[in-house]
Amino acid sequence: MKKSSLGVALAAAFAAAPAFGQATVDQKLQILQQEIDDLKAQARRSAAPAQQTSPYSLDYSSMLDRSSGLASGGTHVVGYGEVGYGKFRRSGDATADLQRFVFGFNHRFDERLTLHSEVEFEHAIVSKDDGGEAEIEQAWLNYKMSDAVNFKGGLFLIPLGILNETHEPPTYYGVMRNQVETRIIPTTWRELGAGVHGIVSEGIRYDIGITTNFDSGKLDDPTTGIRSAHQEGQLANARNLAVYGALNYRRPGLLVGGGVFTGDTGQNGASNPALQGVAARFTMWDVHAQYRIAGLDLQALYAAAMLGDADRITAASVAANLADPGVTAFAAPKSMKGAYVQAAYHVYKQGNFDVAPFVRYERIDIKQAEDPGNNLFQNPNNNERIKTLGVNFWVHPKVVVKADVQRYAADKSRDRFELGLGFMF
Amino acid sequence: MNWRPRSSLALLTLALGAAVAGWVRGEVYQEPDAFVAEVFGTRSEPKVLWLTKDIQVQGAAILGHPPVQLRQRYWSDAHKSVWILEEIGKEEFITAGFVVADGRIEHVRVLAYRESRGGEVRYPAFLKQFKNSKLAPDNTLDRSIDGIAGATLSVGAMERMARLALFFDRMGRR
Repeated sequence: MKKSSLGVALAAAFAAAPAFGQATVDQKLQILQQEIDDLKAQARRSAAPAQQTSPYSLDYSSMLDRSSGLASGGTHVVGYGEVGYGKFRRSGDATADLQRFVFGFNHRFDERLTLHSEVEFEHAIVSKDDGGEAEIEQAWLNYKMSDAVNFKGGLFLIPLGILNETHEPPTYYGVMRNQVETRIIPTTWRELGAGVHGIVSEGIRYDIGITTNFDSGKLDDPTTGIRSAHQEGQLANARNLAVYGALNYRRPGLLVGGGVFTGDTGQNGASNPALQGVAARFTMWDVHAQYRIAGLDLQALYAAAMLGDADRITAASVAANLADPGVTAFAAPKSMKGAYVQAAYHVYKQGNFDVAPFVRYERIDIKQAEDPGNNLFQNPNNNERIKTLGVNFWVHPKVVVKADVQRYAADKSRDRFELGLGFMF
Repeated sequence: MNWRPRSSLALLTLALGAAVAGWVRGEVYQEPDAFVAEVFGTRSEPKVLWLTKDIQVQGAAILGHPPVQLRQRYWSDAHKSVWILEEIGKEEFITAGFVVADGRIEHVRVLAYRESRGGEVRYPAFLKQFKNSKLAPDNTLDRSIDGIAGATLSVGAMERMARLALFFDRMGRR
């Protein structure tokens, strides 16, 4: 700043002293700030070449104009959690559970490079004697070349279905996540890998990449499809990898999309020697849609998957059982499919309050590779129909209270009433 | 799928090619000065709206949190005003420019978007919903804005900023 400018400003300030003396504190502050602004503007005008401003120093203002947090870099703490109460109709049993508490640190290294992470604790206590789990749900880096081209690498969510990537409790209806995106698409499904994603054209988002895959030698629960074979980035057997691709089109009120994930899961017998040389190719795909208009939320999804060599996986589980009776033999899932339709209507919306009753109908069909010689048969509960009727009550866009009733056509022991509380930040 | 270095190399090459071909750009789509210049030219001097207690209280009701700034710069003439506002979607700031003409939103543009999800809010299909919207007596918009799946918090931030721009315009003309 030029000394002469400062002198002029001070002279002007002293000249204005009588009026200044009668002003309130606020007015004095305004007068002084105006003087500073004038000096800044004068200095800018007399400066030689205009300085290139950083994207994060939007230089149209002083600190008085600023929102906080515009520094280039910084770490944000994010998180979500949910508490649920369920009372089962047949048995009368009831449970209450802190289903999950998740927190994460998202760090911005610079304008283009960011880190995204989530650490999840399930069921309140994690110890050798309790049922809780602690796990890294996401830990990935993103480098943004442009809207159209982002590179990502690390442990990230697979872009299949609607819930898997957007799974915070205030973003979905019902106390529990829907069954199709739990038992068919194993939400929250993540793999280690690398990918490219971005928005091309207006509203079309793509995501492609190479990741680790399931390990069919780790399968032990065919009622949840492929879920029990997940590796979740924990010393994952990576002899067989997978490729995925997803395409989603979004416009206001509308989402239409789908994705596919495919790769071998035999892992050359790393977890079960009987699977050496077995490909056990797994392919899953889905299509989904959301439509929101005038308070009405409609949503539908169809997902299907095939697991090759399922009979050999069944045989491998029998071999494992023979070697160690503590290991349970099972009829491996050979095909999985599921679909749901859901409708909700926002009956009351005032300020932050938002009330939306909803109804959902789901079908699940998991076909297993039976082995009658070893008494391994299809589980009838793997062909299921579920009706859910409930309500979401948002007390804040990031905090929701939920209640619902669920009826199962096959496994009636799961009929229940549920209450839940969910939040995100 | 077995690990095939050649396939992976091909995919990587394809991705790098796409990156080079793509429009290399970060989070900032337009500098605020350029946005203002589109409306008022390059010689327009900003005005200042001081956020008095009354304005802060009403601003807080619109935003759901107190405004952080003590004053708001803007550019205006007899009919139009331009406001550069910032609001957090999920965790990072969205910077948007609003042109208000005779108490209605004339034009909105996202100048900088930093969130990892929800970038669709910057496209005209979403932004055109704000055109001609005005404040209802309770400082809400006179119309509902359709959201974008997976971008609920960014949509909310854009709606709050639109309401604030209209409210500030009204205060600036008192």
